[in-house]
Amino acid sequence: MDIQSILEALDASGLSKAIRDSLFLFPMLEAVHVMGLALVFGTILAVDLRLLGLAWSDRPVSKVAGEGLKWTWAAFALAVLTGALMFTTNAEVYFHNTPFRLKMLMMALAGLNMVVFHFVTQRSMDRWDQGVAPPAGAKIAAVLSLALWVGVIGAGRWIGFTVTRAADVAPPPADVNFDDFLGGADPAAAPPSVDVNTAAPAEAPGG
Amino acid sequence: MKEFAEWLSATGPSVFIKTHQAWLIPSIQTLHIVGIGVILGSVFMLNLRILGWAGQDLSLRQAHDRFGPWIVGALWLLALTGLLLIVGEPVRELVTFSFWAKMALVAVGAVAVIGFGRMLRRHEPQWGDALARRPGVRAAALATFAVWLAVIVLGRLIAYDHVWGPLSPAARY
Repeated sequence: MDIQSILEALDASGLSKAIRDSLFLFPMLEAVHVMGLALVFGTILAVDLRLLGLAWSDRPVSKVAGEGLKWTWAAFALAVLTGALMFTTNAEVYFHNTPFRLKMLMMALAGLNMVVFHFVTQRSMDRWDQGVAPPAGAKIAAVLSLALWVGVIGAGRWIGFTVTRAADVAPPPADVNFDDFLGGADPAAAPPSVDVNTAAPAEAPGG
Repeated sequence: MKEFAEWLSATGPSVFIKTHQAWLIPSIQTLHIVGIGVILGSVFMLNLRILGWAGQDLSLRQAHDRFGPWIVGALWLLALTGLLLIVGEPVRELVTFSFWAKMALVAVGAVAVIGFGRMLRRHEPQWGDALARRPGVRAAALATFAVWLAVIVLGRLIAYDHVWGPLSPAARY
């Protein structure tokens, strides 16, 4: 099964259609996605600031990291889940979207940065856990982490300005005349049926 | 409000942001999200301390003093970037139910966070850590976190104000 057929299957799935058809589901997925990423960013930022000596220098690095990072993973899982559900609503378009790809790339680099920090830099941590400034390697990791995660947020926001949300059904016009719907409307005046792939966005791009 | 928003739309700063909106609006929004990340992360860590799940080696006052300045700084960042977003797209922001509901909750959330700090400073000598064991304080901490989550939801819903139906002022125009 090649990627194209996977994307098409996602787009055609019942879950994807259910989210597209709902007025509330997509905005709520976005909102929960922001909650997740806000917590991911906030808890990672705490460790980065500590490594850079910008906050809580009197508290051991291990403690600052230990108290927040397990929650980072829970919040990250929430963001991945909601992100995946949003992806399914327009899989083919997101897959080929440049900001989306940039976001995935920056997340992968942030993960790589984390792995290097964990397995290389952190091995000498007992020497700089407290009282001493962390070594250059730790500070570089912190700067990279900050830059990449701000980049991930920026690219995510950019996706919203480049992808118009797919909709199976066009929203009714604001000045809809209910009399036409309820009694003896002229069939010729009815709005034309809308193709899934060319449907008007449910809201302005960048919403 | 719609007249005011339209007037604001025609002012120099608004026109400047609109002229460069392709990159300015997402950039300002990104900083806005960074700000809410700092607030949510800080309120979350403070909640963990109050509920007894993390940072028990620090007194309540010490735990608060770790995050308090970051919360206040993030509130300023949010106010500044939020103001720029309003100036850039006045009608999109101001002529919505979501925006005004969000502002009301931001006021509640900010008063709760700043008020907790004041209460700590005043009562810490007498009550110390017993403060964190009071059910009322724990409930208030959880409620404050919930308020900031709701702020995020309403912030996102500004773009989807039609979900409010007749509550949305856009429905009246």
